[in-house]
Order: sequence, then structure tokens, then C-alpha cells
Amino acid sequence: MEHPGSLVLLLVWGTIVGLDLVSGPQALLSRPLVAGTVAGAIAGDPAAGLRVGLLLELFALDVLPVGATRYPDYGPGTVAAAALVAANGDWTTTLGLAAGVAVIAGLIGDWSLVRLRHQIARSIQRRSDLLARGDRDTIRRLQYASIGRDAIRSLGLTALALAIARMVDAALIPDPLTGQLLTIVAIGAGAAAALGGAIRSAGRGRRLGWLAAGAVAGSTLAWLR
Amino acid sequence: MAAVNGQLGALLRLYFVQGAWNYERMLGVGMGHAADPLLAELARTDPERHRAAVVRSAEFFNSHPYLAGVALGASVRAEYDGVSGDQITRLRRALCSPLGSLGDQVFWAGLVPAAVGATAAAVALTNAWWPVLLLLVVFNAVRAYTGVWALRTGLGNGMKVGAAINASSLGRLAAPAAVAAGFMVGMGGALAVGWLADPFGWRAVVGVAGVAAAGLAVNRLAGPRYAAPRFALVALVATFLFRWVTG
Repeated sequence: MEHPGSLVLLLVWGTIVGLDLVSGPQALLSRPLVAGTVAGAIAGDPAAGLRVGLLLELFALDVLPVGATRYPDYGPGTVAAAALVAANGDWTTTLGLAAGVAVIAGLIGDWSLVRLRHQIARSIQRRSDLLARGDRDTIRRLQYASIGRDAIRSLGLTALALAIARMVDAALIPDPLTGQLLTIVAIGAGAAAALGGAIRSAGRGRRLGWLAAGAVAGSTLAWLR
Repeated sequence: MAAVNGQLGALLRLYFVQGAWNYERMLGVGMGHAADPLLAELARTDPERHRAAVVRSAEFFNSHPYLAGVALGASVRAEYDGVSGDQITRLRRALCSPLGSLGDQVFWAGLVPAAVGATAAAVALTNAWWPVLLLLVVFNAVRAYTGVWALRTGLGNGMKVGAAINASSLGRLAAPAAVAAGFMVGMGGALAVGWLADPFGWRAVVGVAGVAAAGLAVNRLAGPRYAAPRFALVALVATFLFRWVTG
């Protein structure tokens, strides 16, 4: 599917994207819109990456990453989805399948994040005596080891997502009509996710009115285009 | 009030304050790591006090990551001012909720969805990738400014940091940020859906609307937790199987 050089770059980019979600620098690199656009450029089709990123961004708008809440990690999956669409040329027939790959990877990413957090907690518990003595080296080692673990998690998740994308590319690319239907379904599901999240965040206050006003303005602009 | 050295090192480390996030100490270890350069002078002048300060710096702490510098700066200033350990621990704990709540409202529920919504709208209207680059540059400039402001506010005010937070304009940002988020997500979402569905014609728009309505209904009935991704997977698999059987 990808050139070996591109594959390495996609793995590196997916790792950075996975780290950005929680560990740092939390600079919006993990937003699907950013992750997908860059991945598309790496895979040789920035426009495809932009489409994948925008669709997955609709799903990510459903997420409010407050406190210890659990949420899908869409970034690494978006990287793989962008590579899948870029490899097939016609985005209208592959975008739906690619979104499916990204969503599966996102749910696995959520599970892996919880495992990572428990692992870090156990690591800290084992060194609680040293922490109680104010050992600076222990703090430093715990911090770097935890970031290292998240990097391995993110790399593994990206590799898994790329492997799923490759399997889909080899065995599941459907006829054009089915591909387009899947894309339409994925867009509808993304719209439901974004709208559901926005309504939940808005509550019953003034923000709900602004959400409706924005939707009307956006729909009008889309119709006029 | 003497200036505290090591601020640049602490600022850089604050970018990874969630690096060791876990369900027990939450941001605690990350805070301890970020505090290290700021406490270096204390290690030279008062090693005993420094050791106790290091222990406190890595204890339980939770807040919004962009605003963690407020608590970091305030507790380090209090260490240099010779405030009792119990009071510093109480200060850190007292800052958790307000900094968490304020950051969540201003950033996670306000500026981030507003900026992403605006970017989605710009991408759909221009068919170009430059809005994504603009998003990264502008948002990270705001984020960097917030980080510097947070650390300096904490270091400058120490135990009186609560009053400084109240007097700042950050709290007043929450309401307009929420309004902007509502409008921009509405507009950006509608434009994004329109842009993606455009090549398929009007029948596709009806199909998208139908799937979205079904997804929203499932979201309302099943609750928000994973409803959206699970609904997407079920709908995709059902469509695939339907075509496989009928095709």
C-alpha cells in the first residue's frame, strides 16, 4: 500500500499523534483534522487526508476530554485511514471503509489508554518509598518511563491500524456503489456524533441557540456553494 | 519578592505535565517533574526543606493541564516563602477543582471546539489545507501565552493566587467561548457534512440526514458513552452485509 519510507513516516507521525492526546504537548496534533491532513501529505494525497480528517473530526467533536473520562483515541486510526484512502485514489468509494478502520482503532486506543494508566499507577506504587523520601531521580525516571510507554502504545496502535487498513485494502474494497453507500453512512454517523456531542455540551442554555444558528448558517452556506 | 530561576525549564516540562497521568496521583508526578528546575535554588540553600518540597510536589494533583502552572508556581513560591508544608498541601488541593473546571470550560468546551469548528468551516469553504496550519499556529500561540501567564501568576502570588485567578480575565472568557463553540461547531459541522456529501448529489444528502437522525436517536436512547462510534460500526457493517446479500 505505502512506500517503505512513507510507512516509517506514518508510524512516526502516528506515534506523535498518539502522544499528543494525553502525555503531551497537547498541541491539537491529535485532532483528526490535523492528523489526517499530515498523514495524507505523507501518503502522497493531502486532499484525501483532509477529507478523512474532516470526517473523523466530526466523530471527535463528540468527545469532551474532561478529567478521568474515557474516550476513543482517534488520532492513530485517522493516520491509517488517510493512508488507505490515499492509496486508492477515489475517496468517494473508500472513505466509509477508512472511517470504520479509524473508529475500530479509536476504541482499541481507548482500551490501551486505560491499561497504560493502570500500569503507570503500579509503577508509582512500587516506588512509593523513594517518592516519600523526595528522590528527584525517581520522579524523573517515572516521568520519562511513562512517556516512553505511551510512545510504545501509540506506535503499536498506529501499526495495528495500518495493518487493519492494509487487510481492508487487500480483501474488503467493495464495488463502487457499495463503497459510496458506506461513505454516505459514515458521513451520516459522523454528523450524528458531532451533533450529539454539541447538543450535550450546549445543555439547555444560550449555547443551544447559538448551535442552531451556526447550523442554519452553515447549511445555508453549503447550499449556496 | 525574588525571581525564581528555572522558569523556562518548568514551562517546557509543563507541556508534558500529563506524561505520567494515572488514576492515583493523576498529574502528581508530572507536577513534581516540572517543579524540579524551580526548586533548584532551594536545594542549595535549604536541603532539608527542599527534600520535603520535592515530596509535596509529586503528591496527588489534578487540574486542566494548560493551567497546572498556576498551582505549580504558587506552591513553589510558597516553598521559598517558608509557608508550612500543611498549608502548601492544602493550597494545591484547593486549586484542583477551580483550575480543572475553569480550564475545561474555557479550553475543552470552549476554545478548542470553536477553533476546530472554524477550521472545518474554512476547509469546506476553501477546499484547502492552509486553515489546518492556521489552526495549529494560532491555537498554540494562545496555549503558549496561557502557559507563561499561568506560571507567572502562580509564582507572583503564592498563597494569594486564588484572588489573582478571580481578578484575571480567564473566568470571563468561559461564557463567550461557549457561545463561540456552539456557533462554530454548528456552522463547521454543517459545512463539513455538505462538503463531504456534495459529490453524491441530493439523494445522498437525504441518506446522510436519515443516518444522522437514527444516530442521534440511538445516542439519546443508549446514552452518550461510545454510542457514536458503536453506531457507526453497526451501520457500516449492516450496509456492507446488505449490499453483499442483495448484490
